[in-house]
Amino acid sequence: MEKQEIISSGLLEMYVIGAASIEESAQVELLRSQYPEIDEEIINIEKAFEAYAFANAVTPSSSVKNELFSSLNFTNQPTNSSEPVQSAKVVQMSSPLRSVAAAAAVLLLIGSTVLNFFYYNKYQDVNGKYAESQQQIASLNQHLTEVDKDLSIVQSKYSEPVSLKGLEAAPDAGAKIFWMKNTGEVYVDPTNMPMAPAGKQYQLWAIVDGKPVDAGMITSKDGKKYSIQKMKSFGKAQAFAITLETEVGNTQPKGVMFVMGEI
Amino acid sequence: MQTITKYSEEELVILLRAQDQSAFSYLYDNYAAALNGIITRMVDDTQLAEDILQEAFLKIWNNFKQYDTSKGRLFTWMINITRNLTIDTLRSKGYKKGKKISQDENSVTTYQDKSFTSEKFDTIGLRKQLQHLKPEQKVIIDMAYFSGYTQEEISKEMEIPLGTVKTRMRTAIIELRKLLQ
Repeated sequence: MEKQEIISSGLLEMYVIGAASIEESAQVELLRSQYPEIDEEIINIEKAFEAYAFANAVTPSSSVKNELFSSLNFTNQPTNSSEPVQSAKVVQMSSPLRSVAAAAAVLLLIGSTVLNFFYYNKYQDVNGKYAESQQQIASLNQHLTEVDKDLSIVQSKYSEPVSLKGLEAAPDAGAKIFWMKNTGEVYVDPTNMPMAPAGKQYQLWAIVDGKPVDAGMITSKDGKKYSIQKMKSFGKAQAFAITLETEVGNTQPKGVMFVMGEI
Repeated sequence: MQTITKYSEEELVILLRAQDQSAFSYLYDNYAAALNGIITRMVDDTQLAEDILQEAFLKIWNNFKQYDTSKGRLFTWMINITRNLTIDTLRSKGYKKGKKISQDENSVTTYQDKSFTSEKFDTIGLRKQLQHLKPEQKVIIDMAYFSGYTQEEISKEMEIPLGTVKTRMRTAIIELRKLLQ
């Protein structure tokens, strides 16, 4: 057979694709070793079929390579150090695996969002509690400062306590005066006085030479319990008394006297 | 598959003869999808197809010394090992030759696997090009290539003379080669 006749017959294609008979294959192998043109033609046919295979490629799942390499006791990653460095390969996932991965990613995102929400709420909660505690500490500190101040007044070696006893209007009421001998400052402890009714306020009087002198209004913070407070200073006085007056106070006592005590 | 390392076919053959594992890894990365495509066209069961693929690579590795460069290109040799193994496996499981191909002989044009990319071939471009093949040409290629039909069997199946089978195959391959240029 002529070379060109062989080439155009389609036998070489059949040979390459494995569809030729054993006799034909043997014939082709003999011919290709004798004629470079036939050999070249076969190579071109092979390239065409190979391209056809690539055009129909289907990526197998990644487990195939792993199983193959572990059955051969290979490490999956090429380890030959003399090879040029390989870049990281983009692993193609098979579509079921891909959808599983996508579903897992969505689940993780949802989970993460839920956790974020949960922790954000928790954070808000804890943050609120922290602020509350800070406030409590601040108010306790303030209270402690006040108590310290009160105590320093009571404990001062210069303070002369004067007990004011309840009178007819309020037999159970009572108050104390701490009069500083060195400075003349007068402090009143009205904690045992009943709360003054709305629109009224207690007024402290110092009895100096038989006459009542205004010693100041007794106040309570925001309607809370009375606490020790500083009044006007006196150099001398024979007694102290508390009367219930109008809120602004008076120059002379007009209201009912609640407590009184002589020095 | 962005492999920076590229081996020529000659280098690959030398390394594989020396049982170089990274060369085998490269071989797998670059040809497994193409071989799997052939198996998938012949076998319906994905799991069975992947088992065959794995066995084919084992055979390629273990029998590499039998590869004779004078008898064809490396990948063609691999394709033939894979195709024969698939046919043998199907036969041992009682499948009839070409069972699948007769059901979807036109699937070359419709089959899509977007996840596959090759550094060697523009797969999507190739697939577009393959649409220019005449149906009768595709059928002949597919029957031989994906079903392992011999030319006599194709002749019988398509009810055309043996000579016509060959010439049609020849025209189809010439067409294919034109498309690939």
